[in-house]
Amino acid sequence: GVFAHLEMLEARAHEAAVKQEEMEQQEEKLARLKARVQELRLQRDELRAKVDLQQKGQLGKEGVVSDPAQPSARAVLEWKIKSVKAMLQVFYLTGISGKLTKRGVCFCISTAYEGTYLDSYHLDLLTKAEVQIHRHSVPIFIPLEQIAKKYLQTDIRRFLSVLSDHLNAYAGRRYQADQLQDRFSDRIEGTLQRNSLCNLLVFNYNVSRKSKTFPFNARLLYGDPCCSLPTEVTVSCTPDAPASLAEMAAAHSDLFRRVALHKAFRSFSSTEGSVD
Amino acid sequence: MDVTVAEYIRRTVLKIPRDEIKTMLQKWGFLSETQLQTVNFHQIKENISQDVVQLCEENSADIKQAAVLDIIYNHIYPNKRVWSVYQMNKTGEETEFFDLTDFKKKFKRRLRSALKNVTINFREYEDNAVWIRIAWGTPYTKPNQYKTSYVVYHSQTPYVFISVSVLKSNLPLLCQALVVASNYHDIREMELRSHSLNSLKDIVFKRYSQNFQTYYPRPLQERNVAPESGDLRIIQENRNEKERIQRVNQEVFGDGPQPKLEFAQYKLETMFKSDPKMDVLDEKEPFRCLVKFSSPHLLESLKSLAPAGMADAPLSPLLTCIPQKARNYFKIREKKGFFPGSFVSP
Repeated sequence: GVFAHLEMLEARAHEAAVKQEEMEQQEEKLARLKARVQELRLQRDELRAKVDLQQKGQLGKEGVVSDPAQPSARAVLEWKIKSVKAMLQVFYLTGISGKLTKRGVCFCISTAYEGTYLDSYHLDLLTKAEVQIHRHSVPIFIPLEQIAKKYLQTDIRRFLSVLSDHLNAYAGRRYQADQLQDRFSDRIEGTLQRNSLCNLLVFNYNVSRKSKTFPFNARLLYGDPCCSLPTEVTVSCTPDAPASLAEMAAAHSDLFRRVALHKAFRSFSSTEGSVD
Repeated sequence: MDVTVAEYIRRTVLKIPRDEIKTMLQKWGFLSETQLQTVNFHQIKENISQDVVQLCEENSADIKQAAVLDIIYNHIYPNKRVWSVYQMNKTGEETEFFDLTDFKKKFKRRLRSALKNVTINFREYEDNAVWIRIAWGTPYTKPNQYKTSYVVYHSQTPYVFISVSVLKSNLPLLCQALVVASNYHDIREMELRSHSLNSLKDIVFKRYSQNFQTYYPRPLQERNVAPESGDLRIIQENRNEKERIQRVNQEVFGDGPQPKLEFAQYKLETMFKSDPKMDVLDEKEPFRCLVKFSSPHLLESLKSLAPAGMADAPLSPLLTCIPQKARNYFKIREKKGFFPGSFVSP
């Protein structure tokens, strides 16, 4: 009765569904094959064109295998990658470069001093809500928080520029102090007193004149954190030294204010060589 | 020479591993090279120390020089002590011009004005670190050279590394002297402790390797490409998952070595979440629980958990935030508001 009827209807529905599915699959297959045919036709045309070109080329010039006007896709890709890499390298060499990240942007500040590339420092910024520093590798003695408080929200360019100035000046000061310790250690008496920011240097050094050595004491204060030259220099000699030495001390003091520390010392060596 | 000084020098020399004694005495510089030549450094340490004390007697060593030897020993073997990190604060914005002589003067003056019986020694090192050794006495007794505190301070940084010995009562005095000498306003203890002084420095000075995304192409040698093993019959079934774990691990931990910490401690003050039917706790009180992870090298072991298959990657941020948050002691309380969960106290 009713159940048998229901069963029959169910079976019919099932058959219809199955047929429907089969038809859909057939159509899909057909579409795929058609697309494949298109592909193959395209390839055939390309190859035919190549063969034609080759034949024409051989009639004309000698030994031209492929048309330079139609470089291979691979060569084009390689050239593109190379030029992008070169562009990124250029950005890196300018000192401030960045890369977009999932949550913001990551900046890289590279420092350099007079042609020598020094350390690089990174800043991972979040930019979704307000701009925030997520993490960084800036040394702790650089006043990053102060600079961020002033500029980060309002003017990111200025923030990066000021931070870069601080980092480059620090790198330059440290480079000079390191050079002094490495290259002119024979002229330094005792230890070179420095600090983390390299903005206060105190040391004793020797000046030789007419085969006698005189001790000088130098105190270099770098008042401007964005500058790699000192703002205040005090060079003193012993109280009983001759007057000419006092003059020399003044001259040295002036020199240290104008010229990089290791270069100043290099000039001492050269002038002494000529005097003796 | 004072008998106590002689004994102190003798005991300090006994601490040094035998092969290192000569080098350390040379670094000390108190005994001349000719004097050192007279000592046989191959005999037992007991005898070496007696010989050294004899030589120090000839040079009339006093407690200041003996203290310097102690600083040198602790500088070379800092991991024998537990170091805590303290952070100083100040409101001024002027540029710092750290003058070492000024610092030392202010520190000594401040400390001595409160407690006359202290031995204070300084030693500076190449990395702009000042080591301070303080031996504490009381208003009525001389300084006890065996009850010493060590302070390591890098100029123009807000962090101080302190290794206190037994006398914790002198800590406020020490902190005050540091704040005054370095021109800061206040100081607080951070939740960061370890035996490895250099690792603590790496964490707060951000010298550990963090993985920053840059375009600057790294030389290919730096990328970890595991060499394919020779046997082609071995097929990696879940290569994709392995590579994903490597990538996630590298993003979190970076490429370089991790700072060395021995433990991480989590104090839970959260509610115990159980099936209401089980009714484990009658009163709804926070379930007090302390979870402590210990390891000879905690961060390296956390880094190797996921590749070893012992944990899912990425690891819980409670574990991976340790270097960035610069802490290894945490208090976890209930998050207040609609969403139950936990939140880490600052």
